[in-house]
Amino acid sequence: MNPPPGGTSAAAPFSRLLELFRPDLLRFAFWLARDRSVAEDVVQETLIRAWKSKDELKDPAAVRPWLFTIARREHARLYERKRLPTVDVDEIEALGDPALASDGDAGLTDLRRAIMQLPDEYREPLVLQVLGGFTTREIAAQLKLTQAAVLTRLFRARNRLRVIYGLAAAEDAE
Amino acid sequence: MSGGTPECRHVRLAIGGDPQNLSADVAAHLTTCADCNRFRAETLALDARLRAALELPLPQFRTRAPPARRFALAASLLLAVVLAGGIWLSRSQPVLANEVLEHVKEEAGSWEQHNLLPASAVAGVLREAKVEFDARLPVVYAMACPFHGRRVPHLVVQTESGPMTVMLLAHEKIAARQEFSENGYHGVLLPAGEGSVAVLMRGGAVPEGPANAMVSGVHWR
Repeated sequence: MNPPPGGTSAAAPFSRLLELFRPDLLRFAFWLARDRSVAEDVVQETLIRAWKSKDELKDPAAVRPWLFTIARREHARLYERKRLPTVDVDEIEALGDPALASDGDAGLTDLRRAIMQLPDEYREPLVLQVLGGFTTREIAAQLKLTQAAVLTRLFRARNRLRVIYGLAAAEDAE
Repeated sequence: MSGGTPECRHVRLAIGGDPQNLSADVAAHLTTCADCNRFRAETLALDARLRAALELPLPQFRTRAPPARRFALAASLLLAVVLAGGIWLSRSQPVLANEVLEHVKEEAGSWEQHNLLPASAVAGVLREAKVEFDARLPVVYAMACPFHGRRVPHLVVQTESGPMTVMLLAHEKIAARQEFSENGYHGVLLPAGEGSVAVLMRGGAVPEGPANAMVSGVHWR
């Protein structure tokens, strides 16, 4: 199901609103799944679920984080339901995806590939924070972690990427 | 980067975890520690690059997989075809028809649209799927739907016989026309160059003239 893009129903503006966020959701799902086809499926399921649950959205201004939260759940659900194998770092097909390339900015391409190779436990909170705009408290709630654990994971994610960016890694405070 | 004092390590952990939101303690430390100030500046610069990196360019996102991957996929498919022999062709078409039917049934709301969509809305869907379609046809529903890992235009066109669902399957080459029906849905898969066009109606068979018009109206890019 896709919400209708036009027509006269009262729900049409909501469907148009959802469509506005499809690109953002696609990026988000791609970084979570590291697989283009899976990301497409996640977005489709997200929009279906959002459409069905539209009455739960009390604040229209919060639609973006609401959709991202649904997408993250759908991503997890997809792996549970279909028992998809987790992606081995050495076998990430998406590393060759044209979407990672950046014309004339090799550094950005390297950074994207480095993010792609981060372990899930580091990549997911980083994407939620930087792309999703979630606070560490919200990320902690979503991932069922303490806020301190989220801060540590985010620190370690950035620490790995500092090296790709040409900076010295900070001492890990274990 | 050197660790500095235990307090510096604590501050850098906080900065590395959330460089945009610092506690009062961390902010106070930054007023006295040049190294940690530099660390924060570096982290903010890294974050700006991170944001740019995560904002993937969607036009590139929609392009096909790289040649190496396509080659591997093609090799796998070739092997499958060789193994399956002639059975492959006869089995793949019903599968495609069933998948089109399932997709259309899931978007039952598409049949209820009556207002003509603006040309720009239809053009956006077609552009996303890299397909050209006769702009004169009265389209009341248009979506670029995921189908077999690609974006496929799913349109509903108003015809004299009633609403007609059209799916433009750029990457689903078929050998011959194939009719199918199920639970009141009637459809036909029509070869169209390197792809195919699925045309469906509810309640009655798909008239040949309008179905052929859909095929002649499509061009793959």
